[in-house]
Amino acid sequence: MSMIRLHKVSKLYPPDDTGVRDVTFEVEDGEFLFLCGPSGAGKTTLLRLLFRAEPVTEGQVIVSGRNITRLKGDGLAAFRRRLGLVFQDFKLIPRMTALENVALAADVTGVSWRESRRKAFRLLAELGLKDKYGALPPALSGGEQQRVAIARALVNDPELVLADEPTGNLDPEMAEETMRLFARIHRQGTTVLIATHDHRFLQRFDGRVLLMRQGRLAGVHGAVPAVSA
Amino acid sequence: MKSVYVLFVAGRVGRSLRELFWTHLLTAGVMAMTLSVFGGFLMIQGNVGRLVQGWSDQVQVFAYLKDGVDAAAAEAMRSRVAAYPEVKAVRYVSRERAWDEFRKTLGSQSGILEGLEPDVLPASLDVEVRSGHRSREAVLSLARRMAALEGVQEVEYPETWLEKVRLLMIGIEWLKWLLGGFLFLVAFLIVGSTIKLAIVARQDEIEIMQLVGAADGLIKAPFVIEGMIQGLVGAALALALLRGAFSLLTAELLAPFGALVAGRQFAFLGAGECALLVLMGWLLGAAGSMLSVKRHLA
Repeated sequence: MSMIRLHKVSKLYPPDDTGVRDVTFEVEDGEFLFLCGPSGAGKTTLLRLLFRAEPVTEGQVIVSGRNITRLKGDGLAAFRRRLGLVFQDFKLIPRMTALENVALAADVTGVSWRESRRKAFRLLAELGLKDKYGALPPALSGGEQQRVAIARALVNDPELVLADEPTGNLDPEMAEETMRLFARIHRQGTTVLIATHDHRFLQRFDGRVLLMRQGRLAGVHGAVPAVSA
Repeated sequence: MKSVYVLFVAGRVGRSLRELFWTHLLTAGVMAMTLSVFGGFLMIQGNVGRLVQGWSDQVQVFAYLKDGVDAAAAEAMRSRVAAYPEVKAVRYVSRERAWDEFRKTLGSQSGILEGLEPDVLPASLDVEVRSGHRSREAVLSLARRMAALEGVQEVEYPETWLEKVRLLMIGIEWLKWLLGGFLFLVAFLIVGSTIKLAIVARQDEIEIMQLVGAADGLIKAPFVIEGMIQGLVGAALALALLRGAFSLLTAELLAPFGALVAGRQFAFLGAGECALLVLMGWLLGAAGSMLSVKRHLA
């Protein structure tokens, strides 16, 4: 079963129509993928289309069997609650503790305050932040902040994790550790798609690679050949 | 709404009120000033209305009798006047009684009457006018009929003050809504600006909530509730301000006018008027915040 299916998707920004053009590919349920390419290749734009941060100009985006092309309002919110999103700049709320940041994602799904804290604490402990749950993000290192962001992405047991340059702000050691974390998440059965321009990880982590260049899908490397550009 | 969402929204409202405490308090203060101006007019209107009603209850027409009218003739005139439909009560006041009453009215200063004859004051028919017949035209008509009676020397009645008081009441009503309306608009815009500030201050939080799948209502509700709280706190402050001003005014400033207002019971706003102020504060806060959320929270 396909987790993600893109059909002739374009997202063009005026005035010179940069963005992504005519992209078609499929991602199977439980896959581990890298979306690679140089800066400006369209990786982030494509990822944003996958969680419907922006509408497509043309084509169709189907995630987990649902056409999200025209989703908005509460339907869009419900869709996003099934995803885990990780960003290069972590997107943590600086006024909230690590625990509160993680629990926030659970709170919005309607679980009880106690349950959301319990889940958040368990995840932080699993990611080695047991002693940092009460810390505010500015008091944490980049690697710790990214682990908090990953814990937040996992707190609702998502079926798909999308990560945009998750190691972009981390030193090599932390970046390696973060990638190992994503691999672990994948081994537990979650589909993981990581946009990165860092080629160091492509050979060390077993996953299909989608290569983007100038807004187009330029190549595919890996085991599942269900791709056409 | 599920109780967990209620707790979640309450938590976010509490956090915002703490983080932007002074901004929220300032807005509530502006709201309080606005509502207290409106409430002040309500209070003035109510008290002037009661005062005028008290005066109106005493609208009297005095028909002074000629010297030659004896008690029997006066009594016949009294019976005739009492039959007029606009007359509530009529009393014959003889010269002696008029003198006695005048002396009592002067009280300790009655010494100034020494040397005057007791028959210096004329006898009169004092007519109390029924409610519903106290307009300027009705009183004038009654006075003319009484003046035409044989034995009546002169008729006195409150000629124009009734009309003036009516105009004053209309003026207060208009001023209340004009000035109140203008200040409401100002308060409405200030609430909107405060909520805009709160939205800007929490832009990162809003974006993250959208990314983790918070429903629209869950994101917007705290801002609207903050506006409502500002309105309610503003109304409470306004009522406290008005109560203080009322106490000061009645205790200190009205004392010199004791003779004029003696016996009148000045009253603070009634329960209905207090509820109206609270409702207006709540509505202003809710409307200002809703508009701001609609404009600034895409």
